[in-house]
This record gives sequence, structure tokens and C-alpha cells, in this order.
Amino acid sequence: MRRITSSVAISLLAMASVAQAATPEDTIKYRKAVMETMAGHIAGISMIFGGKIEAQEYLLSHAEALAAAGDEVGKLFPAGSGTGKTEALPLIWQEGDGFRKAAETAKTSTAALRDAIKGGDKAAIGKALKSVGDSCKGCHDRYRHKD
Amino acid sequence: MPRPLSPQGLIRAALAAGLLWAAAAPADPALERGRYLAAAGGCVSCHTEDREGAAPYAGGRALTTPFGIFYSPNITPDRKTGIGGWTAQQFVAALHEGRNPAGRAYFPAFPYPAYAGMTAGDARAIYAYLMSLAPVDRPNRPHALPWYLDTRLAARGWQWLFFRPAPFTPDASRDAVWNRGAYLVRHLGHCGECHTPRNALGALRTGQEMAGNPAGPEDRKVPNITPDERDGIGDWSLSDIGMFLEIGMLPNGDFAGAGMGQVIDDNTSQLTAEDRHAIAVYLKALPPQAKPR
Repeated sequence: MRRITSSVAISLLAMASVAQAATPEDTIKYRKAVMETMAGHIAGISMIFGGKIEAQEYLLSHAEALAAAGDEVGKLFPAGSGTGKTEALPLIWQEGDGFRKAAETAKTSTAALRDAIKGGDKAAIGKALKSVGDSCKGCHDRYRHKD
Repeated sequence: MPRPLSPQGLIRAALAAGLLWAAAAPADPALERGRYLAAAGGCVSCHTEDREGAAPYAGGRALTTPFGIFYSPNITPDRKTGIGGWTAQQFVAALHEGRNPAGRAYFPAFPYPAYAGMTAGDARAIYAYLMSLAPVDRPNRPHALPWYLDTRLAARGWQWLFFRPAPFTPDASRDAVWNRGAYLVRHLGHCGECHTPRNALGALRTGQEMAGNPAGPEDRKVPNITPDERDGIGDWSLSDIGMFLEIGMLPNGDFAGAGMGQVIDDNTSQLTAEDRHAIAVYLKALPPQAKPR
């Protein structure tokens, strides 16, 4: 039994050591997973904040998870991950700086929402939620092709 | 670490402030009404070039359609390049009859088939608001159309075939909220220009109102927004629609992009909550339709 456990551990370790060179397919899959996670947390936050769901005690954990993902957005679009099953537009890599700035607002706006929720002021939360939306919407409008 | 602004930065900031001032809410209630209606009409989205720092309402935005590329004209009150020389009556005729002051027909890239239902009072309020803006000297760019369309006669022919202007008449069998929604969706907001499919000559298939357009502007597929359970927004509540129109969030937490993001910024987020609710009520009351295939 112990031998089996340790061999599993070794193979996981082996996987972990090769995980540095992700294929473009995996990068795209991962990017979508993180984006969908963000959508889920935003939907959750807005339903709780909007009073549709009684789950105040989970508001902050949604916001923290959202901010963690927001921090990651800028790293989800490495060069070479623009072809395949993706809605990401080539403009992302052509523009460079414009997109980097847009990705930065994903980070700062989600962090601000988390801080507003920690602060507990309703008007501030509403405003912060709106700027998270503006950040998502602005980026999707310019850099995502949706069928 | 905040950096002091460079001279160019200061100039840009001053220009931006000037533009913001030009587009800011006027104090005069009549102008404020015009500003609100212009937002509900989405004028600024098409009449502003799609680049950072472009002057609002000064035109130049490219609208790519299956028929060619249309460049929106300058509608600031500049006398030479804008509409500064127009009378209110000429402005109303442009919206209601699809004619410029010289009597020539507009192409339906300009959504006058929808604006034709606008009340004359609303059209005049928009005129007064536009005339209150700072004039911007920006010459219009000619449309890029194939030779057989590159004449106003083509637009005239299109009007003869498809354009039947009629003022909005409230439906007495529906309540005031539905009627307000109908006015906003069909006329001011001209939602059908993108969300209703078109025939081969670019006329809306009105029998499939809001059923989605597989060949929308900028080569985009535009979604079905009838209450169809499978293809449309049947599972959206009134407050889901209101929330979407206010901040752009879909019920699953995703955010609109692809053109609609801008419509939300320039148009629907500027409306009162009552008007957004009226739009939602109207959309939910549409007959459910499968999307055109």
C-alpha cells in the first residue's frame, strides 16, 4: 500500500516537473476555465449583493477568489495561444500595451471589489462591482470574438 | 508613484476635459431631455470614430456591412462639416423620411426606418441638444461601396421598395410600460437593426423581430433576444435583463462584448431604471422565435 502511494506521488511529481511547457491547447483550456470561474463568482456576488440569494457569509470568499483570478488574467495570454479553439482576437498580441493595460484593470478592479466588500459599504460595493463589469466588458468588446 | 504630466500629457488632459465638458449633462431641462433621448437613440456610438480621444458626434466611424463600408457623418453643429446649417425641420426630415436637406435619400445604414416612429417632439429635443454641442471641424469621409450602390439612387430605390415610415402608435390593448418599451426598442433604441434578421436586400424581416442575425454588422452573429427557451432569452428574468442593460452582466456572470458592450456604455446604462424595465417587459412579451438558420 505504502509503495503504491509513493509511486503515485512520484508520478505526480514527474507531471509537475513537465507542467512548465504547456501546450497552446492546454493554455487555452486553462484560460477558459479561469474565465468561467470568474463569471461564476461575479454571478454569485451580484445575486447575493442584489438580495436574490441569502448567502452573505460567502460574499467575501467569492470576492477573494475573483480577485485571485483577476490577478492572473494578464498571464493567461502568452504568445502563441491565439490560435485554436479560442475567441481571443489577434489584436491582443498585436497591440501588446493596450491589452496589458486592459488586463491590469481586471486585476485592480477585482482587488477593489474585494476591498469594498471587506469594508461593507453598500454604495462602495455597487460602484466597485460596476467597475469590474466595465473592465470585463471593455476587454470583451475589443479583444473577444463571440459567435 | 504619480508622475508629473508632460506638456503633451497636460494638453491631452485639457482636451479630454473639454470633450467631457462638451458631452456633460446640460443644466437646461430641455437640453437635458435631448441629451437623454440622444443616449437612448445611441447616436454617439455610430457618430464617433472608434479610436481613443475621438471627438464625440464628429463622425468617421466605419460600419462594415455585407453591402460595403459606411462612414458615419459629423453631426456636431459645425457649419462647414457638420449639421450647423440645418434647421430643426430638416433634422426631423432626416430622421422621419431618410432624406438629407438637399432631398437625397440616405442608405439604411442610418437607422431612419426605426427613427421614423420617433415623435417629432423627441426628434426636436435631440436636435436642440446636438446644436448645443461644441462644433467640431471634421470633414465627412465618403462611403466605400461597390459601384452599383455608389449612388444615392440606390438608396432611393431601396426606400421605394422597403421604407414605409409611420409614427409610433401606442397599442391600447397593452399597458403603458409595454408601450414605452416598444417605443424604446423599436424606434429610439433601434435594437432590431442588429437583432432582427435581414433579407438579401438588407430590409428587416419584421416577422422575425429580434430573432437574431447570423450576418450582423462587423461580420458578427447577433443573438436572438426573443423569449425563446432554446435560442433566446426565455430563462432571463426581467431583473436579469435590467441588470444586463445596466452593467452588461449576463445571468451566468459573463460580460457582453462584441459591440453590445458599447451599446450598454453609450445607451442602455444611461437610461433610467424604469426605461430599462420597460425594455425588458417589451422583450419578454415578444413571440418566442427560433433563430434563423
